[in-house]
Amino acid sequence: MDFGRILLLLAQGAGQTILVTLACILTGLGVGLGVAVLRRLRVRGTAWLVETYTYVFRAVPVLVLLFIMFFGLPALGLKVPPMLSMMLSLGLIAGAYLAEVFRGAMDALDPQELLAAEAMGLPRWQILVSIELPQMLRLAVPGMLNEFTTVLKYSPFAYTVGIPEITRQATALASTTLRGVEIYLAAGLLYFGIFQLLRIGVRAVEKRFEIPGFGMH
Amino acid sequence: MALLEVIGLTKRFGDRTVLKGIDFSLEEGDTKVIMGPSGCGKSTLLRCLNRLIEPDGGQILFRSEDVTRADTDVRLLRQRIGFVFQQFALYRHLTALENVTLALRKLKGMSSRDADAKALLELRRMDMEEHRAKYPAQLSGGQKQRVAIARALAMDPAVLFFDEPTSALDPEMSREVVALINRLRYEGVTMLCVTHDVSLARYVTAQVIFMDAGEIRAEDEPERLLSGHHDPRIREFFGNLGHADA
Ligand SMILES: Nc1ncnc2c1ncn2[C@@H]1O[C@H](COP(=O)(O)OP(=O)(O)OP(=O)(O)O)[C@@H](O)[C@H]1O
Ligand SMILES: [Mg+2]
Repeated sequence: MDFGRILLLLAQGAGQTILVTLACILTGLGVGLGVAVLRRLRVRGTAWLVETYTYVFRAVPVLVLLFIMFFGLPALGLKVPPMLSMMLSLGLIAGAYLAEVFRGAMDALDPQELLAAEAMGLPRWQILVSIELPQMLRLAVPGMLNEFTTVLKYSPFAYTVGIPEITRQATALASTTLRGVEIYLAAGLLYFGIFQLLRIGVRAVEKRFEIPGFGMH
Repeated sequence: MALLEVIGLTKRFGDRTVLKGIDFSLEEGDTKVIMGPSGCGKSTLLRCLNRLIEPDGGQILFRSEDVTRADTDVRLLRQRIGFVFQQFALYRHLTALENVTLALRKLKGMSSRDADAKALLELRRMDMEEHRAKYPAQLSGGQKQRVAIARALAMDPAVLFFDEPTSALDPEMSREVVALINRLRYEGVTMLCVTHDVSLARYVTAQVIFMDAGEIRAEDEPERLLSGHHDPRIREFFGNLGHADA
C-alpha cells in the first residue's frame, strides 16, 4: 500500500471533517453575531446571559463540553445526535470567541460616522444594519479566519462521538496496517489541504467585499 | 419668520454648566456664524438643537414648535436639520454616491433610481459628480467635505448646521469650501455655522454670534467684532486669531 493509496483512503473522511468544521463555523457565526448585536444594542436584560455565555464557553475544554452534550444530556432523556453535539460544543465555543472578535471590531468603528448617522435621523437598528455590521464584518476578517482555523483543528474530537472524519479513518487504518507514521503524515497533509481551502475561501469573500482604503490590510 | 428660536437654553455635564441660558434666533433663509474660544460650548449648543444631546432647560422653537418637548419626534427633527462635521464623517464603506443615497432610501423610502437621480443632482451642485463612484479614502479632504454637504442637502433640510467645516482642511481646500458655503447662502439655504475661521465669517458676511464660557457675549457683523470691540474678551479672542493667521 503506497502513500497515494493511504491518502485516498483517508480522503473518504475529509468530507466529514469539512462538514463538521462548516457546521461548527456556521453555528459560531450565528451565535457570535447574535451576541455582538445584543451587546451593541444593549438589549435590556440580556447582558448577564451574554456575559455568562462568553465567559463559560471560553473556559470549558471542547472535549468536556462535547461529552456533556453527547453523553450527559441523554442521561436527562435528551438524545443528541453526533453532529448536533459537535455544534453545541465546538460550535458554541467558537461563537463565544467570535463574539469577542466582533466586539473588538465594533470598538474599532469611527464614533463620528455613527454620530453622523444619528444626526441624519436613522433609526438605531438601521444604523446597525447599514453601517455598523458591514464595516465590523470587514474589520473582523483576520480574527474570523483565526477562529475558523481553530475550529478545524478541534474537529478531530468528532471522532469520539462516532463521526467518521479523517482522524478516525486514520486510527482505524493504523490499527490494521501498523503503518502509523505514513498514515498520520497523510492525515496531517489532508488537514493542511483543508486549511488552505478555508483560507482561499475566506480570501475570496474578503476580495469580493473589499473596499479601497478601508480596514483589512 | 424665525426658523429657529432658542430661549434660555441650558445644559450641564455633571456639576459643570456648559450652556448658561442661550438666546438667539435664526430667520428662514438667513445664515449665522458662531465663534468663540475652545470649550465654550459651541458643539454642545449645535447638538442640543437637534437633540443629539438632551438640553436641561429652556426652549427650542423650530418653526414655532417647541422641540424640547418629550413627545417630539426627534428623528423627524433630525431629518429636517442637515449636519456637517469637521472630520466629514463619511461612511467609509460606501461610495460618494451611496453616502448621499443612504438616507434617501432608508428614510424617505425612495427607490434606488430616484435616490440615485436626486443624489447625482446634489453631487453635481457640489462639483462632485465625476467622483461619485469613489470611496472616501480615495477623496481629498475638500472633496470629502463637499460630499458631506451634498449628503446633508439631499434630504432637503430646513437648515444646515456646520461644526467647524474647514478646520480639518488645508488653506486652499478651506477656501473652496468657504466659497461653496457662500454660494449656498446666495441660494437662500438657511445655515448655522460654528467656526474658528475668521475668513469664513468675513467672506460669507453672516451675522456672528460670539460665545464665551457657555454664554452669548455679543451678536454683530463680523467687521464690528473683529476690530477694536469694546468688550476686552472679544478683542482678546480676535486679536489672538489674527496673531495665529499671520
Ligand atoms: N459628553 C460630555 N461630558 C462631559 N463634558 C462634556 C461633554 N461634552 C462636552 N463637554 C464639555 O463641555 C464643554 C464645551 O464643549 P464643546 O465641545 O461644546 O466646546 P466647543 O466650543 O465646541 O469647543 P471646540 O472649539 O474645542 O470644539 C467643554 O469643556 C467640554 O469638555
Ligand atoms: Mg466643538
